[in-house]
Amino acid sequence: MYVDPKYLEEEAEKRSLDKTDQEIVQKAMQDGIETAWDRLEKQQPQCGFGQLGLCCNRCVMGPCRIDPFGGEPKRGVCGATSDLITARNLLDDLSAGAAAHSDHGREVIEVLLETAEGKSQGYQILDVEKLKFVAGEYGIETEGKSKEEIAKGLALAMLEEFGTIKNKIQLAERAPDKTKQMWEKLGIVPRSVDREIVEALHRIHMGVGADYANTLLHALRTSLSDGWGGSMMATDGSDILFGTPTPNTALINLGVLKKDEVNIVLHGHNPILSEMIVIAVDDPDMKKLAKEKGAKGINLVGMCCTGNELLMRHGIPIAGNMLDQELAIATGSVEVMVVDYQCIFPSITSTASCYHTKVVSTSEKSKVPGATHLEFHPENALSTAKEIVKLAIDNFPNRDMNRVKIPGKPMNLMAGFSEEAIRGALGGTYKPLIDAIVAGKIRGAVGVVGCNNPKIKHDYGHVTLGKELIKRDILVVETGCAAIASGKAGLLLPEAASLAGEGLRSVCEALKIPPVLHMGSCVDCSRILVLAANIAKELKVGIEDLPLGGAAPEWYSQKAVSIGTYFVASGVFTVLGIPPKILGSPNVVNLLTEGLNGLVNAAFAVEPDPVKAADILESVIEKKRKGLGI
Amino acid sequence: MNTVMVKPERCIGCRHCEVACAIEHSKSKTLLGAISEDPISKPRIHVEVGPGLLTFPNRCRHCDPAPCLQVCPTGALKRDAETDSVIVDYNKCIACGACAMVCPFGIIQFEKTYQVAMDRNVNTKCDHCIDRQREGRIPACVEACKTGALEFGDINDLIRTSRRDFTVRVLRSSGEETEVPEVPENIKAYRDIMKTIAENGIFQD
Repeated sequence: MYVDPKYLEEEAEKRSLDKTDQEIVQKAMQDGIETAWDRLEKQQPQCGFGQLGLCCNRCVMGPCRIDPFGGEPKRGVCGATSDLITARNLLDDLSAGAAAHSDHGREVIEVLLETAEGKSQGYQILDVEKLKFVAGEYGIETEGKSKEEIAKGLALAMLEEFGTIKNKIQLAERAPDKTKQMWEKLGIVPRSVDREIVEALHRIHMGVGADYANTLLHALRTSLSDGWGGSMMATDGSDILFGTPTPNTALINLGVLKKDEVNIVLHGHNPILSEMIVIAVDDPDMKKLAKEKGAKGINLVGMCCTGNELLMRHGIPIAGNMLDQELAIATGSVEVMVVDYQCIFPSITSTASCYHTKVVSTSEKSKVPGATHLEFHPENALSTAKEIVKLAIDNFPNRDMNRVKIPGKPMNLMAGFSEEAIRGALGGTYKPLIDAIVAGKIRGAVGVVGCNNPKIKHDYGHVTLGKELIKRDILVVETGCAAIASGKAGLLLPEAASLAGEGLRSVCEALKIPPVLHMGSCVDCSRILVLAANIAKELKVGIEDLPLGGAAPEWYSQKAVSIGTYFVASGVFTVLGIPPKILGSPNVVNLLTEGLNGLVNAAFAVEPDPVKAADILESVIEKKRKGLGI
Repeated sequence: MNTVMVKPERCIGCRHCEVACAIEHSKSKTLLGAISEDPISKPRIHVEVGPGLLTFPNRCRHCDPAPCLQVCPTGALKRDAETDSVIVDYNKCIACGACAMVCPFGIIQFEKTYQVAMDRNVNTKCDHCIDRQREGRIPACVEACKTGALEFGDINDLIRTSRRDFTVRVLRSSGEETEVPEVPENIKAYRDIMKTIAENGIFQD
């Protein structure tokens, strides 16, 4: 299809920041492939009631909506006001996000249990040190016991906490005492992982409470059951099974796909799937088969958070973040895209059908019409993984080399900064970091997290904010799609310290670390919580006292609502690049942007301009420094 | 003359008017019926997106004299004496597009309708819901609008309101920025945010 090259170039620059992405955005348009950007344009105008949070689609007396200009209707059929409708909608979104993280966590712990019982295939317990540490937290006897015995005890203790009646989650005990007291005072200590989500769904039913503030208070508690519960179990369980990440180097962007090898893209979230594919591609039989089919080898690359999991632990190359999923296919070079769940575009198989690419769905929870479904179970995980790899190799001869375009060249990056690795790099204690913060060399730290959203130029929000913060001597820690964006832009390299302010640069150069630290996948935002908790404990203060901030410049998903909220509920002021669906209620806006300050010493702000977002974060950090007397 | 006045500052792009219009001009005149009819009924009002993601519901203004009516070679376009509306005799329309060429608002469209037995497109622009008006009801789009962006009434009455608003604005404006009719603070904040988003992505002008 002929499209004016100048138009293609301009449009690609509007859509994505990264040059390699721009090349494939252009190819996708030329090939006539529909992408999220096209669908966003086709969705215009988007409904204002929905965007303002004033649409209630909960029961069939409705659907109802409230006039945002103060006229009629002022109440839904049930009598709910704009405040209540908005608050219920937000709690609903947040609960879906918390459920997604926590259900991912549950699956990891189930695999840990099956591995401990010898029922799984291909899995091992790789980090015994972490296993013993976490088991110790749960009060599980480790002395004289095999790692399998300890793992079984720990897995059962964690699984019990999804529906526990003891009214507490052990991992939340990692929070500093002052922060925990704050939660107790507010009545938002998470009581179990599933309970808070179930109660949230109860509370959003018609006629269960009409007080928007009370509804939102439960949103804080639900988010804590994710951050200090389900997500943290996902992180710790994955570390125990597959190893706790340590700093490594790797390659990133769409240029990691290879012209002459079988390309397998692992897309989704849970490492229990992707780790098995890693083992399967190493099989000599598979390598031989690939050669027989005319390929030079098998090239396994990650995408989104399952890509982050592999990158953190094995330095496996990563092709991109959420908005790269269609672009990877549009290179024409992908034999198989393996997906599990979360952030997989429902249209991904229709994108794939324009090329030879096969999409393989693997989760019983997440089937996609048009995909090849090879269901993953711990008992036969490795066999299924091999079957998937073989499918990819067999598909290699179907690739049309005339339609292949691999853009640019990959960028280098450094990843693997788990909380343990950061602490290790500092010599086992946060004292050097605290000293640098007290001395003002580092003003504070910001966790930049979250997704991509075609409403914001792809990666522009993340990269611009990251650069602005490090320039101001603010250390940046990242997860998820944010970290991938920074990787593509070269911010995850020690050399990027040259872009930082003088103080931060000197610290990074001394430690030979990047000014932006990749801490993992989106469930690994829990690592940021642990990092903050450990620093606070060394200082004998609460997380809410520390010069920290959070940001989600390009967020889109319900999971991000939960992350942002557990950041704030843990005392970390958070700036969002896209407004949540709350602007229809001035009361809800006031509570979340102002009122929360008086409750958890943190609140939300909305600012799509990343430079202005950096201004806000800087002022919060300076305010907190003042509070600490530094 | 009764007309539909548009207050663009009140439009939030929900497209309720479009859905209500399509239902009104379907054979069944019900939501569930309309979505499964063949030919499917299309809206005659269009919520378009402008700079900064602001929206404007555009529809036939039922001009008098009406350029479309003046150029129609087959007499398919007529004026309804009772409501002063410009209406189409679908079976006389030859889809020549002359009306669309002269329409100052670009709101003519050619679609299939159940009222034409043959399988062809005809001018299916807004008919001012004259059937409803005859029953003493307001146009479907206006009824559906929950933000007051669409108002139906005597044109001079509606203008009088705007005139009063303007007067207040002029008299209050000695150095002070007051918007009349007033837009709530949260909606102003929402529009500012959407404008920034529009400037940083695919919606750049």
